[in-house]
Formats: sequence, C-alpha cells, structure tokens
Amino acid sequence: MNHLKFPANIAKLFILFSFLMSFLFFGCTKKFPEDKNISGVNYTLLNQDSTKVNFPSDFKGHILVITFIYTNCPDICPMTTHNMQEVQKKLADEGIHDVQFAAMSFDPNRDTPKVLKEYAEVRDMKLNNFVFLTGNKKDVDSILHEFDFIAIPGDTTFVDKTHPVYFFTHTDKLFLVDKKGRIRTSFRGSKVNSQKLISDIKSLEN
Amino acid sequence: MTFVLAFIMLLNFHSQKIDVENAWLRPANKGMNSALYFKVNNNSNIPDTLLKVTSNIAGLIQLHESYLTKGMMGMREVKYVVFKAHSTFTFKEGGYHVMLLFLKKNLKPNSSEIFFLHFKNSGTLKIKALVKKG
Repeated sequence: MNHLKFPANIAKLFILFSFLMSFLFFGCTKKFPEDKNISGVNYTLLNQDSTKVNFPSDFKGHILVITFIYTNCPDICPMTTHNMQEVQKKLADEGIHDVQFAAMSFDPNRDTPKVLKEYAEVRDMKLNNFVFLTGNKKDVDSILHEFDFIAIPGDTTFVDKTHPVYFFTHTDKLFLVDKKGRIRTSFRGSKVNSQKLISDIKSLEN
Repeated sequence: MTFVLAFIMLLNFHSQKIDVENAWLRPANKGMNSALYFKVNNNSNIPDTLLKVTSNIAGLIQLHESYLTKGMMGMREVKYVVFKAHSTFTFKEGGYHVMLLFLKKNLKPNSSEIFFLHFKNSGTLKIKALVKKG
C-alpha cells in the first residue's frame, strides 16, 4: 500500500506548487490592475504658457502622474494638486526628476492658459516637470472619456450679469501612466497615499 | 458678595461660549474662489448656529459642504451649521467649508485675513485666518 502514497504526495506537492505560482503571478499583476493603452490617441492642448502640447505623445518616455481639475473648485481639486506637489517635492528630494506631473482642466471655457498660470503662481508651484493643460471642449471631453473620468456641471446661478456661478460633481482621481502611455493605476486624488504613489512610480521606473 | 460672584460667572460664561481656532484659507487669485477652514468649540450648555460669514475680501460668501456620491465628489450650499452643546465641529478639507467667491484680492501664502462669524446665540465673532498652502 505504501507505494500508492508516493503519487498522492506528488499530487499534493503539485497542488501546493500551483497555488504558490498563482499567488505569485496574480500578486504581481494586481499591483497595477488597470492597463489601458492611450498612446494611440493624439490631442493638441495648450499649457499654462499657451504653448502647444501633444497629448499624450509629448509625455512618452516619462512616467506621468495626471489629474483633472477646474480652478474654480475651492476644496477637492486644490487638495489633489497639493498632494501632487508634495509627491513632486519628495521625488525631487530623492533625486528623481524625470517624472512628469499634469493637471488638465475639465472646465476649459473658464480655465484659459492665463488662469492656469496664475493658479500655479499663487501656489508657488514648480513648473519644471509640472504642467497645467487646457484645450477645446471636444478634445477635453474625449480625453476625460479615455480616463473614465466624469465631470458633470451643476446648475448655473448668476450673482449679476457678469458673474455666473456653477460647480462640478466630478471623479476624485489621479492616474499613473507608464512610459509607454499605458494607464497603470489610479488613486483617490484628494486623499492619495503619497508613499504608495511614490512606491508605484519607482516600480514603474525599474 | 453673591452679586459679585454671579457677575464673574456671567463674564466667564460669555467669554467661553464659542471659540474658534486654527483658522486658515487657501491661496487664490483675485476673481477666483477659495475656502476657509476652522475649528469651532461650543462650550455652552445650549446649541448654537453659524448663520453666515462675512468679510470684505470676497464678493460672495457661502457655507458649503463637499460630499462623496457614487465615487464622485460634489459640493452644495448649506444655509446654516448647528453646533451641539459642549461640542467641537471642524470645517475641514473635503467636508464643511466656507466658500469665498469672486475674491477681491490675491491671497498669497503666509498673509492673513479677517472674517466675521455670525452665530445665532453668541453674536458676531471676529477671527483672523492664515493663508497657507493646502
């Protein structure tokens, strides 16, 4: 009877080995569960200096941390841009400078390059590897669609004829795009875990 | 003697009813929006209500609440905020805040601004808020 136990043990070992391999495989791939390639699209946008930016091709070869904002947002969007600013500083302190940061407006009618530049200046933002983007509404909406980012304007009220007031209900996310233009993962923008984001950036660097 | 004690207690009562700490607001440019945050301590035995905030730095000031709905963040005006007796309430990022619209000047980091908080029971409280990055 003993000779029958040997195949049984082998079978158990095989099951254990398969389980371990599955764990290793899915464990690794789960680190970056999202993987959408956006390198095939191309849009011409403007940065805060009114310089043309080809999106996303101008960022190819760099890791890109990107979010979508509107500058009339007083609470959530500034939290997100501030979090990105903090990560930008931490990476710079570690000598990592080739990561690009971008905040693209989903309210292009109000967020002109001049408005975006002033938004950056009053916050003392370092624009060496941080860019603010705007564009025509159609292109902006297409890019939002690529990222599954939703921004819905609310009703407009008027304080007077020249002062419309409206706000957006919007997705609260920032995205990590790899050097080949693939969206690899996303974070809650206003409450991002900076250490996790930096760790993921470093994983993509290697 | 009883009268003096009662007077001192009354003074003490009035000085501790409502106090505000850690007031700050975000940097922003003239014509744009910002948000004011602070912590309210209601030390009295009765609830109190913040009815409005005034200041000469904004064209319009509203009480607002940010909220999460179906994975998205929204914002809505609230007409007033009630503070329970002996409670602390924080106007904070991603939650309740004072919305400052149509700013009349640039708000640069490390500057400060004056605001008036109008309470139903405690009257008007003048506060100084620091502009800081966030």
